[in-house]
Amino acid sequence: MTVATQQSGGGGSSGLYDVLELILDRGLVIDAFIRVSLVGIEILKIDIRIVVASVDTYLRFAEACNRLDLEAGPRKPAGLTELTGQLTESGARGKTKGALSGAAETISDAFQQSRDEGKERQGARPAARRREAER
Amino acid sequence: MSTYVYGIIRASHSSLPQDMDGIGDPPRPVRVLRQGELAAIVSEAPEELRPKRRDLLAHHRVLDAAGADGVVLPMRFGSASPDDDTVTTVLAERAEHLLERLAALDGKAEYNVKANHNEEAVLHLVMADNDDVRMLAEANREAGGGSHEEKVRLGEMVTAAVQAREATDAELLQQALEPTAEAVSVGPQSTGWLANLSFLVNRGSAEQFLTAVDGLRQEHPHLELRVHGPLPPYSFVDTSASQQAEGSTAEAFGADTAQPTNG
Repeated sequence: MTVATQQSGGGGSSGLYDVLELILDRGLVIDAFIRVSLVGIEILKIDIRIVVASVDTYLRFAEACNRLDLEAGPRKPAGLTELTGQLTESGARGKTKGALSGAAETISDAFQQSRDEGKERQGARPAARRREAER
Repeated sequence: MSTYVYGIIRASHSSLPQDMDGIGDPPRPVRVLRQGELAAIVSEAPEELRPKRRDLLAHHRVLDAAGADGVVLPMRFGSASPDDDTVTTVLAERAEHLLERLAALDGKAEYNVKANHNEEAVLHLVMADNDDVRMLAEANREAGGGSHEEKVRLGEMVTAAVQAREATDAELLQQALEPTAEAVSVGPQSTGWLANLSFLVNRGSAEQFLTAVDGLRQEHPHLELRVHGPLPPYSFVDTSASQQAEGSTAEAFGADTAQPTNG
């Protein structure tokens, strides 16, 4: 049952990314010790779904919806059930990407891209939780 | 020469790390400094310490090894002491508190869960749940994509619906997994995930916890869950108010008052 569960101690590079903020940002702090200045880690916190606030994102979402409908067919919320069924059948616990079509991957890529662009553009638009950027 | 501190263990720790490579290039050998009932896992501190991948991994590996057979209090990355004596002095002065923390965390490990939406699956859900969105999407499609304004309006609606879904899914995850854990720590939000939750899990209940995670995956295939553990209890070692405040702030949607903790 738990075989498919990713149990990483953080050894891999993707695992490291996920546990990075734990290693850097949590753990015991004792004031008698010096906390070495860690220039550059602020990038971790440069926040946060800025993508969500941008017109570009809206357009990407709109485009994604457009393509989504074309795939699933019009007036077909039933497509949801089919999709869910497929995903479950393939036993894709946490690996849902593998069950999606190439077109879906492209959409995902577009989202990822928009997120990346959002990060770069974070100075251009006010975002809800741009806490680190204020510094 | 300053001393880098990885973590704190009991002096009676059954498997102290031996011949382990620490941080630095070349890697500094890891040593153990004992003081009474406590011991610190240390090495020489490199002159210039940067949060490089290699050093982060080294820090983590040392703690991982130390935590495999006994409880360890992980220090935050980058903690250095002017010398060995200062380390043992700290151990002596704060023995009571440190021993209390070691006892509290004995036999427990951290499991960190990060969640994302599968974008296509969540769009399907949003369309199915929101007639307005679905109708506008269809109208746009029939109009060959719609005007710029209509696209923006649709995108805005979808974004709001996805955001709402992120919030409810984060809540759902916490509620579903909390019963199998001793404690939960809500981590800071970021672009990379919709939920970032750390759970303190009894080693004896780990399978139960992971089974609950798998159950969530099957029940909610639009959620992509990444689980890391067992980890040293990074998120549960410090009971200071700052961490709790950070967690609650991160949990509050739209809050912008979180303070950076890398001070």
